[in-house]
Amino acid sequence: MDYIEVSFSVSPKDPATEILIAELGELNYEMFQETESGVLAYVPADLFSLDNLNSIELMNNDLALISFEYKLIQDQNWNSEWEKNFQPIIVDDTCVVRAPFHHLDKEYLFDLIVEPKMSFGTGHHETTFLMLSHILTLNISDMKVLDMGCGTAVLAILAAKKQAKEILAIDIDEWAVENSLENITRNNITNVKVIKGDAQLLDNESDYDLVFANINRNILLKDIAKYHAVMKKNAFLLLSGFFVTDINSLLEASSSLGFDLQNSLEKNNWAMLCLKKQ
Amino acid sequence: MAKEIGAIIKLQVKGGAANPAPPIGPALGAKGVNIMEFCKQFNARTQEKAGKILPVIITVYVDKSFEFIIKQPPVAVQILEATKLKSGSPEPNRKKVASISWEQVREIADVKMSDLNCFTPESAMKMVAGTARSMGVTLTGQAPFNN
Repeated sequence: MDYIEVSFSVSPKDPATEILIAELGELNYEMFQETESGVLAYVPADLFSLDNLNSIELMNNDLALISFEYKLIQDQNWNSEWEKNFQPIIVDDTCVVRAPFHHLDKEYLFDLIVEPKMSFGTGHHETTFLMLSHILTLNISDMKVLDMGCGTAVLAILAAKKQAKEILAIDIDEWAVENSLENITRNNITNVKVIKGDAQLLDNESDYDLVFANINRNILLKDIAKYHAVMKKNAFLLLSGFFVTDINSLLEASSSLGFDLQNSLEKNNWAMLCLKKQ
Repeated sequence: MAKEIGAIIKLQVKGGAANPAPPIGPALGAKGVNIMEFCKQFNARTQEKAGKILPVIITVYVDKSFEFIIKQPPVAVQILEATKLKSGSPEPNRKKVASISWEQVREIADVKMSDLNCFTPESAMKMVAGTARSMGVTLTGQAPFNN
């Protein structure tokens, strides 16, 4: 997504800069970096409005003299430095997640090739690792699989390599959708469909045998009923993206829908739950 | 032996909304940090404060590992929120004339005290009141000290 960087010069800097940041926060500005003379503020390009900026009360009072200039910052892979030389991840000795430039000294049953390009899902993060680890234990031949918040689509790719029948992968981020498609092609997989969006896309879906969602606690709590609605009886839901301390709130929400806890895994305070629909 | 620090990066990011766009992307990416790892962790740690602007101080080590601490929302952000609660308005633009009570000042000062080691409760409240006045927000009720 393209962003607009607005560079504000604020004189005197205090307390006006703090107030300006608070006001900008109300106008869809998401991130800020203070500078010696003021603050850099960032807003998605499609939400930028000069009228909005000029309507900020602070710009027109005598607390401080404020001026600004702005520029477009085009989307690019800011993560390329890390991606140039990351290490492959081995999961349970049977699965490897690696970049195209890695050469392996032994063969693995499941060889997943991922070039992340700033998408989430390389196996380095505990949550991806736990999801991969649990998927490896499941027999998912001929299953209909849903991967919510697919990132690099690494989980969908493993499901395909484990003979799932068909897989739908969804991510809200356009970059992740493009990246998923690239990675699916890279792994010679043909039965994964990728769509940009969120759980609202599930209204016309049904009969899933297995659902993955490695996102975050709030989104999982909000969308778990939608996952439930598209699942068959006895289907499995794998959740991650939250801490051990969040497990209780997720179990409460899931049991009220009629899920039973089948398994839970933890790594460095991150958690994964496997739930079965009754 | 303590790890060698490569950089300290100070940003303000909405809770639950970190993404690899600027300024996070360029600031961390240039240091060779895995940006996605930071975003996942920041977002998971700030689920209780989703949508609130939070100062974050990120220490990047020479070995490209990192750790970060998350501060309480800035006082001005908390004041804006308090004025909206009071008016009950869901509108993003607050009313031009807003007010908060000294009780709300105390609540904001209490929250922010954890970031302000050297402040007494009274001096923290005075600081919050000063920011409120600078914002054009009036204070209602009796000040709990000579103000």
